[in-house]
This record gives sequence, C-alpha cells and structure tokens, in this order.
Amino acid sequence: MEAKPIPAISAASAPYWEAAANGKLLLQYCDDCSRYLFYPRSWCPHCYGGALEWRTASGRGAVHTYSVVHAAPCVGFEADAPYVAAVIDLQEGPRMMANIIGCATETVRVGMPVEGIFEARGNIHLPQFRPVTA
Amino acid sequence: MSARRHLRNEPAIAAVFELPPGRYPELSTLDLYREVLSRALAAWPLKARDIDGLLVPPADMAGDRPDILMHERFGDELGLRTVLSETMFAGGASYGLMIQRAALAIADGRAAAVLCAGAGKFPRLDEAGRRSMSKIFHPQFELPYGPTIPAMYALLATRHMAEYGTTPEQLAAVSVAARAWALRHPHAYMRSRGAISVEDVLQSALIASPFHLLDCSVPCEGGGVILVTTGELARRISGQPAYIRGMGEFHSHGYQSQTDAFNISVGTREAGAQAFRSADMTPDDIEVIEIYDAFSAMPIICLEDLGFCRKGEGGALAASGRILPGGDLPLNTYGGLLSYGHTGDASGLSMIIEGALQVMNRAGERQVAKAGAALVHCYGGMQADHSTLILSREA
Repeated sequence: MEAKPIPAISAASAPYWEAAANGKLLLQYCDDCSRYLFYPRSWCPHCYGGALEWRTASGRGAVHTYSVVHAAPCVGFEADAPYVAAVIDLQEGPRMMANIIGCATETVRVGMPVEGIFEARGNIHLPQFRPVTA
Repeated sequence: MSARRHLRNEPAIAAVFELPPGRYPELSTLDLYREVLSRALAAWPLKARDIDGLLVPPADMAGDRPDILMHERFGDELGLRTVLSETMFAGGASYGLMIQRAALAIADGRAAAVLCAGAGKFPRLDEAGRRSMSKIFHPQFELPYGPTIPAMYALLATRHMAEYGTTPEQLAAVSVAARAWALRHPHAYMRSRGAISVEDVLQSALIASPFHLLDCSVPCEGGGVILVTTGELARRISGQPAYIRGMGEFHSHGYQSQTDAFNISVGTREAGAQAFRSADMTPDDIEVIEIYDAFSAMPIICLEDLGFCRKGEGGALAASGRILPGGDLPLNTYGGLLSYGHTGDASGLSMIIEGALQVMNRAGERQVAKAGAALVHCYGGMQADHSTLILSREA
C-alpha cells in the first residue's frame, strides 16, 4: 500500500469504471423501488430486486460531511496531506465517498455545492468532486 | 406490566482479571493469553472441570496470519471440555457480545461457567499493519480516497458539529475527563503523564479534523478475562457479582460511507433501547456509564443515542463536568481507550471489566459511591457492530 491504491474492477462495477473513463458518473437505478443506489451491486439492497439499470448521474451534489486528513495512511497520500476525505450527498439521493479537490482545505464546508470531475490514476479514472464554480 | 425479560439462573459476571495495559515486547499474543489465564486461574477458586464454555476472538487480527481457531488452540491448553466454545469477532463489540452469548447460554441452562477472554497487540502501523487495517475500507469506493480510521470517525464528528453546533472544545472535554479518571486507576497507560486541559488537546497535532492526537485513543497491548456464571456460582466466587440485567445488540452498516446517518449512531440507539427494555430500566437508573471511546466524539454521540440527554446536547453534557470524577454521570471511570489504553484485539474488554468492578464495589480509588447499575456500550468495526450491557448489583 505504498502508492495510492487503484481499485480492482469487479463484474458488478465494470460499467461504472468504464463510464468514469469517459468522464461520466453512472449510478444504478432500481426500477422496483424507484431509487438510485450507491455503490454498484448485483441486487438492490432495499428490495433485493435485480431490475437495476445504469443511469447517467448529474455529477452534482453537496458535501454531507468531511475530514481534513493530516496523517496520511500511506506514502502515496503523504504529498497530498492535508487533503479532504468527504461524503457527498448526490443530487440523485445516494451518498458516496470522494476527495474534495481544487480548493483550499479550509474552505470546505458541510452543505457546500460540489460537482464531479475525474482523476486519472493508473489505468482508471476516479470520480472526485470540486466546489461548484459560480 | 413490566417489560423485563427475566433471565433464568441469574447470569452474572463472577470474576474479572486484566493485565495492565502496556508494552509486552517479549510476549507473543498467545503468551499474553497464557499470562492472563495463569494469573486469573491462580486467583480464582476454579478448576478446568468447572469451566464449560470458552469464547475468544481470533488472535492477531491485524497481522498477516490471524488465528481464527483460537478457541481450539486455547481450550486445548486449558484442558477444557466445553458445551460452548467459539472464536468470534465483531471488532470492539466482540467482548460485549461474548458476555451476551454466555449469559443466554447460562439462562438457557446449557452452560454454567463461561470464560470470555482476549489478548491483543495494537497493530503496528508498518506496511503489513496498514495493509491489514485497510481491509476495513471498501476496496473500490473508499480506499482510493485515502481514508484512515480517525478520518472515518471524524466524518461523524464533523456532521454532528455542523448539525448541532458541537465544538472542538466539547470533544476535548471527553479526553480531559478520561485523563482525570485515568489518574485514579493504578494501571492506566497514561496515568504517569498527568492531567490534561482542553487547551492541551486542541494544541496537540491534527490527525484528521476535527480530531487532534489527544482526541484519539492510545495504542498499547494487554488482555483480560471475564468469568460469566450462574448467579449461584457467582455469589460463591465473589460475594457481590455484577448481574447481567439487560442486553442489547444491533448491527447496522458495514462500510462507514454506507451508514444510514452521520449525526446519529443508529446501532447505539437500537442496542441501547433493547438493553433498557430487557432490564426494564431507563437512563435515570444508570449510575456508571462506560462507552467505547476510540475517538473523543463517540461518547458524545452515544450518550445522546442511549438517551442520557437529548439529541444534539451531548457536547454540552460532556463539557458540563457531569462526566468527571465527582459528577453525577461518571463516564469511562477507568480512563477509557483515550487514557487507559486501546489494547488492539483485546479492546472492549477493559470497559466491561470496569463496569463490573464498579458494580461489585471493587474499583478502589475511582469507586463511584452509588454504583448500583452500570451501562457498558461497545461498538466494533466502523461503528457497525453494537453491544449494550446493563450490569446490576441486584439480579
């Protein structure tokens, strides 16, 4: 774990990562209970229905909560410290973890509007968020 | 009509033993177990034939090769023949849940004397330790974002602060109180460091905002054992046992980013309510509180969700002085993981042992004058696994 980890893609998540490489954030939508899910799975964790379809998300959301990480977990993150580990309320409903990048760490606030961007890392593109520029 | 579910056979904590938390570089984890048990068995009027249950966690969970058959390994060394034996793990909630499993087996008439034991070394944060600790994060949807355990718990603290106006000073008050209690425990790891102030906490290094170094528990090594028996046997062994009067258990999310709420500890609320219901008690009946405090914010959130104050008022409660020695809501009377020590895989034992000692009136210098009932809440993983115990002087 010296370098920043690169996620190993699973069958359930492959469409998510393929779309991210094309600059799109995809979410699964459960037709049976009419809601979006995160993270990608093989069934809906609310109704156990398998009728999941992929929909393109707006990429918009707000900071639900965050922490400015000063003590990094491994060498790969040390150069970034302090950096922001956050949980985002996506406009579509679910929450996802991401870093807030492209701004000073001390400007991050709970409720701050953010938009998705993609960080190239190894062979994948990682969904990240930055403050919405007016 | 009383909602209380009376347990048959009056399951009780009959005896406890714990190694002083510290550094034991010369001892392996298995050696720590041997040390714990040889010293406990020498002190207790107990033979192998008296013990009919053994519950232990896996050994070296954070190492490269955890031992997931510790109950076989250790039961063999002790020469046990048991009706209940298992290696079980739910992080910091493991020991609370062991006590519950033991109490139910005793109430069911299946077992009479169950050893719940654990020993651990806080994982070294070297390459292997970090790799192993990182298993607690989702490999695709958390790990790539550089989470740490303090940062994941900080997510709860930040949200709580934003919703209720909880302040860093109020978080620090939990650490200050823990140290004040630790100064009254002869074995507390941080006792020799003396008292700390809110200012000391706020001036210690930032680890993951809002947590400073002194908002985080202190890693060390240790172990202990709790003997759960029928009430009759417990009275023969200790005179005044700690009866297991109420129990609650709940498991919520797995990964922290999947929790239902960041301002509430849902599992604490559910397990706590169950424990109060089963004991037919309310928070007003509790005289000693032990809450798992891997980070300073957690007792604040859990005090609210257990019903000791209204939602959002935990910060003010922590800073009120009521949780300090002499206060009317004595919290983490042994010093907590924050100042007594976080003993790795054994973490979660100390607070049950302390709750029992208080109820048994054997807590020495830190004995709370009126300790008829103690609540012990432990959580494990990313506050996913929850156990609430209510220990009582009366069956």
